[in-house]
Amino acid sequence: MKTTVQEIDGKMVATLVGELDTAATQETERALQPLLHCEGKDIVIDCTNLEYIASSGLRILLSILKQAKIVGSRVVLKNVNEVVYDVLSLTGFVSIFDFEKV
Amino acid sequence: MSRVGIIVIAALLVEIISVVQYQRARRMLEQEMAFRSRIVLSSITKDITHVLDLTEATMRENLWYIQHNLMHPDSASASLFRLIDNNPNVVGGCLAFVPDYYPGKGRYFEPYAKKEDGRIILDQIAGPEHDYTANPAFRQVVESGEPLWSDPYRFGPDSVSLATYSYPVFDGQGRLAAVCGLDIDLSWLGDALNANQFFPSSFGLLLTQDGRMVAGPSEQRIAPEAVRHAVDILRSDSPASADKKLVVRRHAMNRPPYWQVAQIHRYKDVFSRIRKMRLQHLAMILLGFAILVFMIERYARNEKKLRLASQEQARIAGELEVARKIQREMLPTRFPSFVYGSLEPAREVGGDLFDFFVRDGKLFFCIGDVSGKGVPSAILMSVAHSLFRMASNHIESPAHILQSLNVELCRGNDSNMFVTFFVGCLDLYSGELRYANAGHDKPYLLSADISLLPTQANLPLGVFADTVFVEQTLTMAPGNSLLLYTDGLTEAKNSGRKSFGRKGVEAVLRARPVSSRPNLDALVSALSEAAHRFAGEAPQSDDLTMLAVCFAPGEDMLRGQITLANDPREVERLSTFIKDFLGQLSMDRKTASGLRLALEETVVNVIDYAYPEGVTGSVSVLADSNRREVRFTVQDHGTPFDPTTVLEADTTLDAQKRPIGGLGILLTRKLMDSISYEHRDGQNVLILTKSIV
Repeated sequence: MKTTVQEIDGKMVATLVGELDTAATQETERALQPLLHCEGKDIVIDCTNLEYIASSGLRILLSILKQAKIVGSRVVLKNVNEVVYDVLSLTGFVSIFDFEKV
Repeated sequence: MSRVGIIVIAALLVEIISVVQYQRARRMLEQEMAFRSRIVLSSITKDITHVLDLTEATMRENLWYIQHNLMHPDSASASLFRLIDNNPNVVGGCLAFVPDYYPGKGRYFEPYAKKEDGRIILDQIAGPEHDYTANPAFRQVVESGEPLWSDPYRFGPDSVSLATYSYPVFDGQGRLAAVCGLDIDLSWLGDALNANQFFPSSFGLLLTQDGRMVAGPSEQRIAPEAVRHAVDILRSDSPASADKKLVVRRHAMNRPPYWQVAQIHRYKDVFSRIRKMRLQHLAMILLGFAILVFMIERYARNEKKLRLASQEQARIAGELEVARKIQREMLPTRFPSFVYGSLEPAREVGGDLFDFFVRDGKLFFCIGDVSGKGVPSAILMSVAHSLFRMASNHIESPAHILQSLNVELCRGNDSNMFVTFFVGCLDLYSGELRYANAGHDKPYLLSADISLLPTQANLPLGVFADTVFVEQTLTMAPGNSLLLYTDGLTEAKNSGRKSFGRKGVEAVLRARPVSSRPNLDALVSALSEAAHRFAGEAPQSDDLTMLAVCFAPGEDMLRGQITLANDPREVERLSTFIKDFLGQLSMDRKTASGLRLALEETVVNVIDYAYPEGVTGSVSVLADSNRREVRFTVQDHGTPFDPTTVLEADTTLDAQKRPIGGLGILLTRKLMDSISYEHRDGQNVLILTKSIV
C-alpha cells in the first residue's frame, strides 16, 4: 500500500495505491493525517489504483469526510474502481461522498 | 310431474279397471243367478207338475172303481178310501153327487174322507148348511163336464194349503153322477220353495195364474210386508223393472192350472258379496298405493340421501386428492446425487415424511412417522414438516431442532399423537454427521459393511415437552451412505401376515453394488420393489418411506485451513491465505474481493473483540469450496457472541451521524449469501457461505 498527499491547484490530493486492507490501515491513516487539516481546501482522493478497501479503510475515509464537513470542504473520490465502488455502495457511502471520473 | 301425481293417476287407472271388472262381475253374477233361478224354479215346477200328474193319474186309474161303486151309495166311501190311500199326496177327497142323485140320501150327498195322523177318516159333510152345489168349481165341472184344478186355498183349523182336483164322474147311463174332488197338500211347497235359498232375505213364492200367492216363506223368516210387496210386483206388468231393489225371477207351469213359481232376491244381497269384494279390492288398492307411495318416497329419500352421501364422498375424495397433492408437493421432488427419498402413502394422505435441504454446505435431512394413519396423521405430519423447515433454517444442531419441534408438538397435543423423528446434518465437505433421534428406527450405515448407525432411541416427539434429545456425531468416510426408513418398509406384510423385516431389507442392501458414488435412487427403488414383491397381493398397510444420503465429496473439492493468533498483525497472513485459496477458483474480481473482504472483516472482529484484553487466543479459519460455492468456517474459543443477531448499521444516515463502527458485520452480511452462528463445544462457530457461479 502506497499513500501520497500533495497540494495541487489549491486542492489536497491524496493518491491511494494498492490494497487498503486491515493490515494497511494504521500506516495509511498516518499518511493521510494532513487531510484532517485541510483548512477549507477541497480534498481529492485519487482511487485510480486502489484495488481493495476493508471497513477499516472506510472508517478512515469517513473520519476525513466528517472533519472536512466541519470546515466546509468537499471530499471527492476520484476514479473509484468497480470493486471499491461496490463496497462503498454496500455501506451507503456513495450517498455521502462526491465522485469524479476522469 | 310430481311422483304423487303419477301415483294418483296410476291409482285412478287401477280403479277404473276395478270398476269395469266389478260391472262385468255383476253382470256375470246376474246371469248366473238367473240361470240358477231358472233351474230351481223349473225343478220346483216339475215337482208340482209331477204331483198334479200323479193326482190326475190316480183319478183316472180309479175312475172305473168309482163308477162301479156308483150303484151303491154307501160304497162311495170305499171309493174315496181307495183314492186317498193310493196317493200319498192326496190328503183328502170327496164325492159331491149332483143333487138328488140318490133319492135315499137326500138332496145333498157328499161323502168325504181325509187323512189324519196316518188314518183315513170317512165322513159325510154335505147338508143344507154346506151347499156344495154353490161351489164354483163344482158348478164349472158340472157345466163343462171337464176336470178342473182349483186354485190352492187354505183350509181347516191348521190353515193347510190345499188344492183340489175336481173330476166329473159319469154313471153307466152317461149321466153326470158326481164331481170327485181330490185334495192335495201343497204346504210342502212353501218349504220347498224356500229351502236352500241363496241369501237369508231371498224367498220363493207360488202364485196362481192370476197372481194370488199360494205358498211362500214362513213369517218368521220373511216379513209379510216384504212378501206382499213382492207379490204386488209380480202382479204388475213389468215386474223386473218395477223395483230396483229386488230381483224377481218367475216361472209358470206350461199346463193347467198355470201356476207360477217365483224367486225373489234383494239386489243388496245378490251383490253384497261382490260389493264387499269390491270394497275390499278398493281398500287393497288404496293400501297398495299407500305402501307404494311410502316405498317410493322412502326410496326417493334414500336415493337423495345416497346421492348426497355420494356427492359428499366425491367432495371428500376430491379434497383428499388435493390434500394428497399438497402433501406430495411439500416433499422434495428434485434430488441432488447425494440424497434420494421416496414416500408411498398407504392411503390418499399419509403420516410419514422426509425432507432435506442444503444450507451452508451442510445437508439437513429428516425422516418421520406420525402415529396412526390417514388425515389426522397427515395434518400432524404437515405441522411437523413445517416446524422442521423453520427450525433447521436457523438451528445448526439436530438435537436442538428436535427440541424445538418437540416443544411445539407437545403444545395442545390433546389427541396424544406422537411422531418418531430422525434429524441429521451432514457436512458435505467434511463428512461430519451430526444426528439426533426421537424414537425412530435406527438408520443403516452403509460402508463396505452393513451396520446400524449407533443411535440413541430417545422419546418420540409430542410426548413430553421437556425431553432432552442426545446429539451424536460420526464422520462418514467418502462413499458411505445412510439409509433411513419408516416401519412401512420393515413391516410390509404379505398375505400370510409375515413381515418383510430387517432381513428382507438387508438382503437387498447386501446385493447393492458398492461404489464411491452410490446410486441412491436405484437403491431406494430396489428396496421398494423388493418390499412390494414380498407383499404380493396384500394391500399396503402402512406408508412406505425411505431416505438415502451419502457422503460423496467431489474430486475437485478445495479445502484450506489457517489458525491465527488474536493479533491484528496476523491479518496479513489471512490475506495471503485467502488470496491463495480464492486464486485456485475461477470467479470474477469483484466476487473474489467481496469474499476476501467478508472473511477479513469477520476474522478482524474476532481478533479485536473475542478475547478479553490481554488474553491470548486463537481463531481458526476453514475454507471449503466445491467450485460452486465457497464456505468459510471461523471458530474461536472466545466470549460467545452471535454476530447474526446484531442490528444492522443504518446506511442512510448522513456523514455527521454515521457511527465509525459496525461496518464490518454489515459488509459481511451483504457480501455473503448466508451467515450462520452456533456456539458448540465452547466455541463460536460462524459459517459464511457464498455461491460463486
